Amino acid sequence: MNALRRLLAPSLLAPLAALLLASAAVSLTTSRFLDPQNLLNISLQVSIVSIMAIGSTMVILTGGIDLSPGSMVALLTMLMALFITQDQLPLALVIVLVILIGSALGAVNGALVAYGRIPSFIVTLATLSVFKGWAFLYNQGAPIFSVSPLLDPIFYGRVFGIPLPFIYVLVCFAVAYVLLNYTMAGRAIYAVGGNDSAARFSGINVRRTRMLAYTMAGATAGIASVLMAARLDSGSPNYGSGMELQAIGAAVIGGASLSGGYGNVIATLIGALTIVVVQNGLNLNAVPTSWQLITLGAIIAFAVGLDSWRVQIVGLVRHRFKRGPRPVGATVTDITAGQEPEVGKRQD
Amino acid sequence: MQGVTRRPLWEVRNLSKGFPGVRALNDVSVSIYPGEIHALVGENGSGKSTFAKILSGVYQPDSGEILYEGTPVRLVDPHVARRHGVAQIYQEFSLVRTLSVAENVFLGRLPGRGALSTVDWPTMRRRAVELLDAFGIRVNPDAVVGSLSVAEQQLVEIAKALSTDARLLILDEPTTALDLQEAERLHDLIRRLAARGTAIVYISHRLREFLSLADRITVFRDGELVESRPASELDLNGVVRLMLGVEVKEHFPKEHHALDEPLLEVEGLESDAGVNGATFTVHRGEVFGLGGVIGSGRTEIARALFGVDPVSAGTIRFEGRPVRFGSPHDAVVAGLGLVTENRKADGLFFNFAGIPNITVSRLQLLLNGPFLSPGRERRLGRDYLKRLRIPAAAESKSVQFLSGGNQQKCVIARWLHAGTRLLVLDEPTQGIDVGAKIEVYHLMNELTSRGVGILLISSDYPELLAMSDRVGIVREGRVVTIERADSLNDTSLIALASGAQA
Repeated sequence: MNALRRLLAPSLLAPLAALLLASAAVSLTTSRFLDPQNLLNISLQVSIVSIMAIGSTMVILTGGIDLSPGSMVALLTMLMALFITQDQLPLALVIVLVILIGSALGAVNGALVAYGRIPSFIVTLATLSVFKGWAFLYNQGAPIFSVSPLLDPIFYGRVFGIPLPFIYVLVCFAVAYVLLNYTMAGRAIYAVGGNDSAARFSGINVRRTRMLAYTMAGATAGIASVLMAARLDSGSPNYGSGMELQAIGAAVIGGASLSGGYGNVIATLIGALTIVVVQNGLNLNAVPTSWQLITLGAIIAFAVGLDSWRVQIVGLVRHRFKRGPRPVGATVTDITAGQEPEVGKRQD
Repeated sequence: MQGVTRRPLWEVRNLSKGFPGVRALNDVSVSIYPGEIHALVGENGSGKSTFAKILSGVYQPDSGEILYEGTPVRLVDPHVARRHGVAQIYQEFSLVRTLSVAENVFLGRLPGRGALSTVDWPTMRRRAVELLDAFGIRVNPDAVVGSLSVAEQQLVEIAKALSTDARLLILDEPTTALDLQEAERLHDLIRRLAARGTAIVYISHRLREFLSLADRITVFRDGELVESRPASELDLNGVVRLMLGVEVKEHFPKEHHALDEPLLEVEGLESDAGVNGATFTVHRGEVFGLGGVIGSGRTEIARALFGVDPVSAGTIRFEGRPVRFGSPHDAVVAGLGLVTENRKADGLFFNFAGIPNITVSRLQLLLNGPFLSPGRERRLGRDYLKRLRIPAAAESKSVQFLSGGNQQKCVIARWLHAGTRLLVLDEPTQGIDVGAKIEVYHLMNELTSRGVGILLISSDYPELLAMSDRVGIVREGRVVTIERADSLNDTSLIALASGAQA
C-alpha cells in the first residue's frame, strides 16, 4: 500500500525508531509507563505541544525559526480568561477570537521577517519577550483561575468514547498535511526553504509565503492556548514557558532541517510523542524538574546536531567516494561544493 | 615546445580508478613535461577531472603508477601533492571575499614576527607585490577581494597557488566565468608561466578558446584515453569528433523564426544597479543577443526587466502594453522567464527531485480544485523528462545529483512548463558539456518556433553570434549598437564590446 510505504520511508523511519527506542527505554525503567491511564495522559499531554509544533514546522521549513509561541500561550490564555470572566463573551466567539489574535501575532512576526528583513531568530526572540511582558499587564500579573465550567469539556470531553484532543490533533495534522503537500502554498513553503533566491526567480511570492508560515505558527499557538486554558480552566502569564523549545524539538526530532526545505509534519507528530514520552519517563522516575530541563535541552541539542552532522556525514561520504575530501586551502568557501558531480553522471 | 629529449615532470602509467558502479578511468598513461601546456578534454564524466584529482592527491588510483621525475610516488592526500609542487585551481574560488589580495595569497601562512608571532604586515605586502609583479598580474595587493571582478579574482587565485612554488598547475574550468578578453589575459599568464618551466594541465569546455593555447591535447572518453597528440596535429572538429566518438555535423543548429511583431520594447531603461538608458526591441520568435564584457550591465538589464532591481527610469512594453514589474513574481505572471547565470545559487531546488523543479514556476497547471494533483504533476513531469532527454532517475533523485547539462535542462523546462513568452537566458551553457549545449540550442529553436522571444546573454561569443538573430552591444549599461548577428564576427564583436571602434 502507498500509505504503508510512505510510513516506512526513511524520513519517517528514523523518528519512529527514536520513538520506539524512547518508549522501550522508559518502559524498562518503570512498569507504570504502559499503564493505559498513563498512555492516555501522554496522549493528552502531547496534543497541545504537537499542535503548536505544526506551526513551528512550517516556519522551520521556510528556513526560519519561531521562538515566540510559548509566550503567545501566556498572553492568549490570559486574554481568553479575561474575555470570558470580564467581558462575558460567548465561548465560541472567545475561541475564534483567541485563534485570530494568535494568527495576527504570528503575522506580525512574519511581517518583520519578510518585509522588515530582520532575521527570524531575532524577531521572535524579541516578540517572545514582548508577548510575555504583555501577558503580565493583566490582572496585576496574577493567574486567573476557575474561568468557566464550560471549558472543561472542551479538553476532557469525548465523542463516541474518543477523547476530544485526539480529534483536534487528527484534524489539525490532516489539514497541515494537505496544506503542505497538496497546495501551491505548501509547495511554495518547501521551495522558499530549499532556495529562496531560486524561489524568487521562479515567480514565487517569497514574502507572502513567509508571512503565511508565521501566521500559521500564530494560529496553531492560538489553538494550543485554547486547549491549555481548557485543560487547566485558567489563564496564566506563566503558561507556555519553554513550550517553544518542545515544539522546535518535535520538528527537529521529526527530521526537519533547521536550514529549511526538508521535513514533514507527520514526522513532527512522532517527534512530539518522543519528547513527551521521555518527559513522562522522567516524571514517573521522580526525576526533579532541574534534570528534566537539562535532559530536554540535551536531547534537542543532539537532534539538531544530528541534522548538522548528517550534512557533514553525507558530505564526507560523498567527498570520499565521489569527489574526494575537501582540497587544501578550501578554508572558508567550500570549493568542491560547486563542482559537477562528474563521476556520478554515469549512474543517472 | 615538445620536449622529446627531456624527462617528464610527471608520468602516470596504466592508471585505473573506479567508483561504485562506474569505471571512471581505465588504464590511462600520460606524461607531463615541464613548460608544457597540456589540455585535457572530454565530456562530463569522461574521466578528465578524475585524472586531475588523482594528480592533485584528492583521489587515490585503484591501480597504476605515478612517477615524479622518474621516481614512483604515492600522492596519498592533497598535502603530499602540494609538497611535490602540484597546485590545483578550481572553478569555484577558495578566496575570502572580505580580506585583501595580499592576505588571501598568504592565508594560512601569514609571515609572523616577534614572540607572539604577530602578523608582519609590511613583509606580507612586500612579498605579495613581488609575487604579483613576477607573474605580471596587475591587481592591487591592498584591494578587498570581494571588490574585484571575477577575472581578477581568478588571477589572485592563481597567484595564491603559485606562491607555494608550484611546478605543476592544474586548472579545472578556469574560464567559465570569464569573457573572451579576460580569458585572453589568463592565457597570457599561462603562457608566461609555461615559458618559465611550469607545467600546466588545463581542463575546459570552451574548446575553441583554449585549443590554440595548448602544446598537447589529450582526449578522454568514457574513462579511456582516446588520443594524446601535439596540438598542432589536431583541429577543433577533430577534437570534438574524438570527444564524442561520432561526427558532429554542426555545433550551432540555428533556426530562424523571427517575426516582425515586436514582443518586448525597452526604451531608456535605467536602474541604480548599473543600467543607464538601454533601448532595444525583441520580436516574437527572435533571439536577441546581448554582447559585452563582464560588468558591462547585461545581467543588470535582465534583472531590471524581470523586476529584481527597481527600474528608475524608462519604459518597457510587453506585447504592446506598458509594464513595470515590482518583483519577479509579477514578471512571471505576465509571461516572462529568466534562466539565471548561477544555476546552483539562483536556479535549482536541491530539496526537490527533477519534476517539482520543473513545475514550480506554474503550479496552477497542476490544480484540481484548490489542490495539486500528484498524478497530473507526474504525467506532465515525465513528459518533460522524456522530451528533454533528462535521465528518468531525475524523477526520484534530487537534482543535485544530475549533471550540469541535465540540471540546466530542468531549469529551461521550467519555463517551457510556465508557457513563458519571453525568456531571458543568462549564460545558459556555462559549464555544461558539448552534447548538452547542443540540446540547449535545440530547445531555443523549439521555443522560438513557437513565437517565444529570447534575450540571450552569453560570454561565449561564437555561441552568441551563431544563436542570435540580432546582437546588441552593451557598454556601461547602454545598448550602444545593434547589428545583425551574421554581420559580425568574433573580432568585430570584441572591438565593439570594448569600445575600440573599428
